[in-house]
Amino acid sequence: MKNIQREDIQIISRHSDLTEKGIDRVLKVNVYNNKESWQKFFRLFNISLGVGFTVAGIVFFFAYNWADLHKFVKIGLTQGVLIATTIAALLPKINDNIRNVILTGASVLVGVLFAVFGQIYQTGANAYDFFLAWTVFVTIWVLVSKFSPLWLLYLVLINTTFILYSQQVAKDWSEVFICFLLFIINAAVLISTIYFGKKKTPNWFLNTVALASASYATIGIVIGIFDKHQTTFAILILITAPVFALGIWHGLKTKSSFYLSVIPFSLIIIVSALLIKISDGEMMFLLVSLFIIGSATLTIKNLIDFQKKWTNEK
Amino acid sequence: MRNKEDIKELLDYFQNTEDNPLKFDEEAIFSAYQKNSDNQSLPIKILSVFGGVLASLAFLGFLFIAGLYTSDLGLLVFGGIFIAVSIWINKKYDRIIIDTVSVSSFIIGFILIGFGLGQLKVNEDIISIIFIIIAFSSLSIVQNYILSFVSVLIINGSILTLIISNNAYNLIHFHVSVLALTIVLFFVKEAKIITINKTFSKLYNPIRIGLIFSLLSGLVFLGKRGILPVSTDYIWISSIIIISSIVYLISTLFNLLHIIESKHKISIYIFTLLTLLPTALSPAISGAILIILLSFMVNYKTGLAIGIISFIYFISQYYYDLNFTLLTKSILLFLSGILFIGLYLFTHKKLTSNEKV
Repeated sequence: MKNIQREDIQIISRHSDLTEKGIDRVLKVNVYNNKESWQKFFRLFNISLGVGFTVAGIVFFFAYNWADLHKFVKIGLTQGVLIATTIAALLPKINDNIRNVILTGASVLVGVLFAVFGQIYQTGANAYDFFLAWTVFVTIWVLVSKFSPLWLLYLVLINTTFILYSQQVAKDWSEVFICFLLFIINAAVLISTIYFGKKKTPNWFLNTVALASASYATIGIVIGIFDKHQTTFAILILITAPVFALGIWHGLKTKSSFYLSVIPFSLIIIVSALLIKISDGEMMFLLVSLFIIGSATLTIKNLIDFQKKWTNEK
Repeated sequence: MRNKEDIKELLDYFQNTEDNPLKFDEEAIFSAYQKNSDNQSLPIKILSVFGGVLASLAFLGFLFIAGLYTSDLGLLVFGGIFIAVSIWINKKYDRIIIDTVSVSSFIIGFILIGFGLGQLKVNEDIISIIFIIIAFSSLSIVQNYILSFVSVLIINGSILTLIISNNAYNLIHFHVSVLALTIVLFFVKEAKIITINKTFSKLYNPIRIGLIFSLLSGLVFLGKRGILPVSTDYIWISSIIIISSIVYLISTLFNLLHIIESKHKISIYIFTLLTLLPTALSPAISGAILIILLSFMVNYKTGLAIGIISFIYFISQYYYDLNFTLLTKSILLFLSGILFIGLYLFTHKKLTSNEKV
């Protein structure tokens, strides 16, 4: 039997005299996780906690200010741990998932190494060049691993580097411009992952990146609406429009309701901001309230229509 | 969503699983699939909740700017009307597309009644109790997904308000314990609950997610120090309940995992207790583990994701709050890390040798 969902069981049980025992059996066979998935779960649970705690322990170990330790020993120790971890990732016997978890641990250790370096030479823990170096030196591993959690870490590093750079060095960048840059970076990653990654990339990764891109675009445009007019704002809108259109097109093509709800929701927020910019009187707020209800309802209606169409096409 | 052939095939399958002939109301099943109002995809649910909340916020802005919040009677009457309308349209048109309308109207109704009662200088406790009564009645009248979910959150919020406004902070352990036990019961007895009657069957999904969020809110109060002056003297109450629930869950897994020898069982029990014991002072961590295990057991992905995110948060919060030097923390973390890696290697070896046999 193909793929019985919990919803099927619920609907059918409401209109039949299925017994509790029968439903319990159907749930256990079709919906609940079986022995194999529990074993996989425990294995992944143990290795993730193991690597996570060990790496956190190492991070805290070096965060403790070792006044007596010579700087050579400090950096040497970190590097030793890093090399050991990397070698562990190269062992031929382990499976790919575990190898990738270990490699992710090693990538975090690269950050520790630079932090120790920063501690010795007093560069500060949140200097942008610290994150830049971290980003640059894990790049090859990220590319080799094709492991989504590591890719996510990499993207977080890139975003952090840019945000810190804008705060510490490029202080004259406007908020709109920062949002614009971050939007471009994340949208570029998203689009190229979809284009080159084929079907291997898990959805949660794509959706997280898409959500981040849409959020940057929305925040940038909303700030731009209330700010004085500037050229970056115009460029942001000019670029957001086709990217959003591309997103809608992609959503329709891949039958993903995620894009078809995130982008309209972003547009709803932008239009509401625009309305409040026009007037902030009481009637406008009432209008905005009605507008949100109306447009959200319309979006949902369209989504349902699409889903019906997709089901019938199957 | 499924088409007609799928449904026919499904019904045949169900018939084959039972020994006695089953009665299906096929027409009702077809039309339920057509409407399928409460099993929409997650984006649609989130869209209607966020849309509803945003619309309510804008409406609140309207109320304040227009100065309409001074007439107590008006607020109460309009609040009542808003809630009644939201329940009525749900009852009348059981359709997902009106969810945003009904959820905003529902939330606005509660806000208006809250303000109205506040104007009348009604005591917070009474307001909370009134909210609980309204939310419960709404649950019994309509079983729409979003509305029921919001109702559960309102009930939980009102109970928390009762605890906080009476300075009875230690009752929060009681609240968390009851929630944890309810959630375990809810997940383990899924088949039982959905067969009680149609109302329970429809309420199952929204209450399940509502309970998870409610438990999380309680755990946040316990897990993050300083939000509430919760005394640490009673923190073991929540821990004992949650840890025993986890042990109970593990015991139900033995059957599934074909662990028969009592030697193995005892060592698993001892290991579980040993790893959970250090978290006795932070029931938030064991609570998150409970959510993860339960959600994984019944293959509930949203719950699993919520559990993992909150687990990471509570663990970090725990170590951040810990009053040790960084060196001690580092050793603690490192040792637990090694323990889990050791466990991984141990079970890995065991499983592969089992498979060979």
